Amino acid sequence: MTEHTIKRFEDELTALKEKILCMGGLVEKAVRRSMKSVLQVDPGKAQKVIDRDRAINALEVEIDEMTRSMLALRQPAAGDLRLVIATIKIVTDLERSGDLAEGIADAMLQTKDHPIIHTSSLETLAELVIEQVKYALDAFASEDFEKALDCVAKDKKVNKTFKAFQRENLTYLMEDPRQITAGLLASAIGKNLERIGDHAVNIAEMVIYMVKGHDIRHVDHKTAAALISGELSED
Amino acid sequence: MSTDTNNKLTIRDLKLWYDDFEALHGVDLDIPSGKVTAFIGPSGCGKSTFLRCLNRMNDRIPGCRVQGDVLLEGNDIYAPDVDVVQLRTHIGMVFQKPNPFPKSIYENIAYAPRIHGMMQDGPDMDALVETALKKASIWDEVKDKLKQPGTALSGGQQQRLCIARTIAIQPDVILMDEPCSALDPIATAKIEELMDELKQEYTIVIVTHNMQQAARASDFTAYFYLGDLIEYGKTTDIFTAPKNQRTEDYITGRFG
Ligand SMILES: Nc1ncnc2c1ncn2[C@@H]1O[C@H](COP(=O)(O)OP(=O)(O)OP(=O)(O)O)[C@@H](O)[C@H]1O
Ligand SMILES: [Mg+2]
Repeated sequence: MTEHTIKRFEDELTALKEKILCMGGLVEKAVRRSMKSVLQVDPGKAQKVIDRDRAINALEVEIDEMTRSMLALRQPAAGDLRLVIATIKIVTDLERSGDLAEGIADAMLQTKDHPIIHTSSLETLAELVIEQVKYALDAFASEDFEKALDCVAKDKKVNKTFKAFQRENLTYLMEDPRQITAGLLASAIGKNLERIGDHAVNIAEMVIYMVKGHDIRHVDHKTAAALISGELSED
Repeated sequence: MSTDTNNKLTIRDLKLWYDDFEALHGVDLDIPSGKVTAFIGPSGCGKSTFLRCLNRMNDRIPGCRVQGDVLLEGNDIYAPDVDVVQLRTHIGMVFQKPNPFPKSIYENIAYAPRIHGMMQDGPDMDALVETALKKASIWDEVKDKLKQPGTALSGGQQQRLCIARTIAIQPDVILMDEPCSALDPIATAKIEELMDELKQEYTIVIVTHNMQQAARASDFTAYFYLGDLIEYGKTTDIFTAPKNQRTEDYITGRFG
């Protein structure tokens, strides 16, 4: 894109993108670390996730302030407007994801006396969700709507894996009532992962809006692809 | 480039030359009835030139030549039998600088209906003057001083007086060339609100340099660049997701 005539606005837009990526990086790290703490039974890592959540929240406030002043002072239009709007929404999804990672860390700390024995399904789910988060953030960084669509498409597999995990977890609970506490904690962790995936999808949808100007929320994948390729018009 | 709504004006392959300088390179555009259409674009791109074609204001400019079609509800306004004075009663124009006649406020409104033979002086004329001033949202401010000269009003009031004068001859279309550029934000807001009301009855076309004004006040926006119509569409689409990169650059301030 051509340089902005008002250099300072250009700088502000660049700074805004960088801040989002910085926040995204912290969130991705929090999700990874929280799951490492679960799988490696490492309370130190869990505590770190909890301690670092404050930085994520601070970035949320800072980014909100930036977008507010841009709307008031610059009256952005077209692509600039879509970036600002996408940012306002993405920031909320990132902050929620950070909280959910903190929730995972919290659950991990409660497993001290109730270790989770069966972790392989959780691990599979975590890998998928972390990849989804990474795709969403990469799509934002490189304004790559195809990658964003991939992120959205991954949700089917995540949901399937989550359901399988729940079923499996339930079986363990029924087999051995002594596992109930651990099983409930595992279930909470799985649920948080699944919701982090949902937030990644929201972010990806905002990236598509930002890049292409199409709102693909609540439409099926085929319709979304047709909208983006221009075969279909919005109304 | 067409719109779903009824079209008041249809322009096809419109070209215009000032001597041998081609200022418009074949513009196609449909202007929907009962809507506000805004023309935007950098200085010198041909907005005013194009606007003036819509009521043959260019006829008076020596060396100016027009080719192509401008149809008002299907009728060619450049047809040889068209009476230009009559045409301008259908398609009125409001200019950048308010230009009231150096006469009373009352006379500013009554003059044209009288010379067009629409109405004689009397109670009907009084009613027409009142209605026009009311429609232009200036009645309350001038009703006690109708005998005072129009030129004694403030800039914003003068502009609304000129709009009232245009309305008085009951046109179909009102063309406005940067009608707010000499006005403060409050007077501007009044004119914008007025446009919103007037579009119930009239088709409005406005040239503006104020991007926010185009965004706020119009239903459709046309972006011109160097004598070409680059993009035309719903104002919300143009300002949130324009299709053309040049429109995007202009709208986001990345021009030049
Ligand atoms: N009477 C004229 N004689 C010769 N050239 C003219 C005349 N009027 C306009 N032009 C030229 O035609 C082109 C379009 O001018 P026009 O006034 O339509 O632009 P505009 O988009 O209205 O610009 P602005 O935003 O500055 O009012 C310009 O290059 C201008 O120099
Ligand atoms: Mg002009």
